[in-house]
Amino acid sequence: MEKLTYAEIDNTVLNTLEPPTRMYWTIVTLLFAGVVVGFACWTYQILLGIGVAGQNNPVNWGTYLINFVFWVGIAHSGTLISAILYLLRAEWRNPIARAAETMTVFAVMTAGLFPFIHLGRVWMVYYMIPIPNQRTLWPNFQSPLMFDVVAISTYFTVSVLFWYTGLMPDLAIVRDRATGVRKKVFRVLSLGWTGKYEQWRHYSRAYLLFAALATPLVISVHSVVSWDFALGVIPGWHTTIFAPYFVAGAIHSGLAMVLTLMIPLRKIFHYERIITGKVLERVAQTIVLTGLIVGFAYGTEQFIAWYSRNTVEMEIFRFRAVGGFALAFWIMVICNTIIPLLFFFKYFRTSIFWLFTISILINIGMWYERYVIIISSVAHDFIPHAWGQYFPTWVEFGIMLGSFSLFFFLFFLFVKHLPSVSMTEMKEKVHEEAAHG
Amino acid sequence: MDNASPVRVTGLFKDESKAAAAIKSIRKSAWKLADVHGPIPSEMISQALAVKKSPVGWFTLVGGIIGFITGYLLAAFTSLRWELIVSGKPVMAYIPFFIVGFEFTVLFSVFGNVVGLILTMQLPAYRDLPGYSAAASGEDFAVVVACADAEKDSVQTFLANQGAKIETGH
Repeated sequence: MEKLTYAEIDNTVLNTLEPPTRMYWTIVTLLFAGVVVGFACWTYQILLGIGVAGQNNPVNWGTYLINFVFWVGIAHSGTLISAILYLLRAEWRNPIARAAETMTVFAVMTAGLFPFIHLGRVWMVYYMIPIPNQRTLWPNFQSPLMFDVVAISTYFTVSVLFWYTGLMPDLAIVRDRATGVRKKVFRVLSLGWTGKYEQWRHYSRAYLLFAALATPLVISVHSVVSWDFALGVIPGWHTTIFAPYFVAGAIHSGLAMVLTLMIPLRKIFHYERIITGKVLERVAQTIVLTGLIVGFAYGTEQFIAWYSRNTVEMEIFRFRAVGGFALAFWIMVICNTIIPLLFFFKYFRTSIFWLFTISILINIGMWYERYVIIISSVAHDFIPHAWGQYFPTWVEFGIMLGSFSLFFFLFFLFVKHLPSVSMTEMKEKVHEEAAHG
Repeated sequence: MDNASPVRVTGLFKDESKAAAAIKSIRKSAWKLADVHGPIPSEMISQALAVKKSPVGWFTLVGGIIGFITGYLLAAFTSLRWELIVSGKPVMAYIPFFIVGFEFTVLFSVFGNVVGLILTMQLPAYRDLPGYSAAASGEDFAVVVACADAEKDSVQTFLANQGAKIETGH
């Protein structure tokens, strides 16, 4: 492949910050309309009460929790790419690391809304914060739900700081080439970064430590999310495999979302020489690995249920596969474990069409995975008398539309206003390649 | 590094090895090496500058220790404020509190990391840096030499001989 120069990297990325087209603003407006719909539905729910959502006995954890787990999962791959692959010195991460980190920040923001939405009486949120109040009510830190509050807020804070620290050298590049108000804005944002070697010395160390801290954090966060379920006694939830299973699933869905975002980004902003086919192929190969782990987890769950000889446990897994949730279950299995195996074939992992299509299918499959886990267990637990069905109401659909719109709305704003590829890391990659021939 | 010198001569190098060689020569000479800027961290230039390991890690470590103690004590304190015995289990749940301690460890370590970064890099710094060239954020390694006005020409000649493009400023 023809080698990129530093100037070409800068020009390609800085061209993306040129004034947007009418098409861009049309899409942004449509996405904003989706966000408004979501907030309108939430306002309606706040005014009338949580009853307007379809969550009731026995299913009182519906789409709000499905979407919460889904978005937290999406977030995880950003940290995998930015932190874990950084520590492993995987050079193919560099072109997509920035967009993946941004995906993490926006996905955690979106996920973080759902506990508030599910709370119903959202103004009671301060009960989750450890502050003295007039009734001396303190949060119970033995509860996985409180672990969640701590873990997600830590994850969000760390992700934002990691993302911003990584942006600093690039913000300085934009500042040095901008004029007028834009120059002033980027001057403030870049905090006066000049690329002095005194700065690089501390920056490199701090960035490495960030990556080293984010790695165990990302594993702990989705483990904690899984304990929301695993520490309950509900059949299908109460299992020790949940933590690794959730972490693998999170990375699986996140990698798929990386492809979903990168492929149009590459096309629209002419990033073909930066986000090369080789990079997308590496993501696809990693998806094969995570898909196999997820498939293994599905099999292990079934095996544990069968091996335990626990009637209730066996019934829920039978019910998932051939009962009322069979369609959702098989969408989950096929999209998450069978379809990603197509990436074993070079044809599929080098075809942009198939990469994009399969990434969408995995996203759908992973959403259904959370649907199957959350809904089927509570809909079909210990006592047949309490079994029931669940279907989201229009309020939940509206809020779900709002959450997807919010994520893509923020991402669209980001790609036009901040460097969506790390110019500095791309230069480091080019430098490494030149040094090693 | 002498920031009070009246003249700054900036040599822009495309090649990091040439920049590193120039830095080594300047450090051995009577001239003052004011700053070195670059678009990427370079091992070669760091070696030429003989930079020491950054102390940021100590801030991170202190942050982590404070975080773990804070998280663990917070969980313990809130439990003791309730002191409600459920199913005969002890009020202090040492193992689950470890999770809160762990999350706080990471959070405060990162805070320590950021504080360390801000303090050591002395940011934000919005004043224009003498001798700074915008080319240094793009593709060049900028070696800034502070010298007396009378020596400007010889510094320029030296840097040009080392393969640099010259920029001057006061």
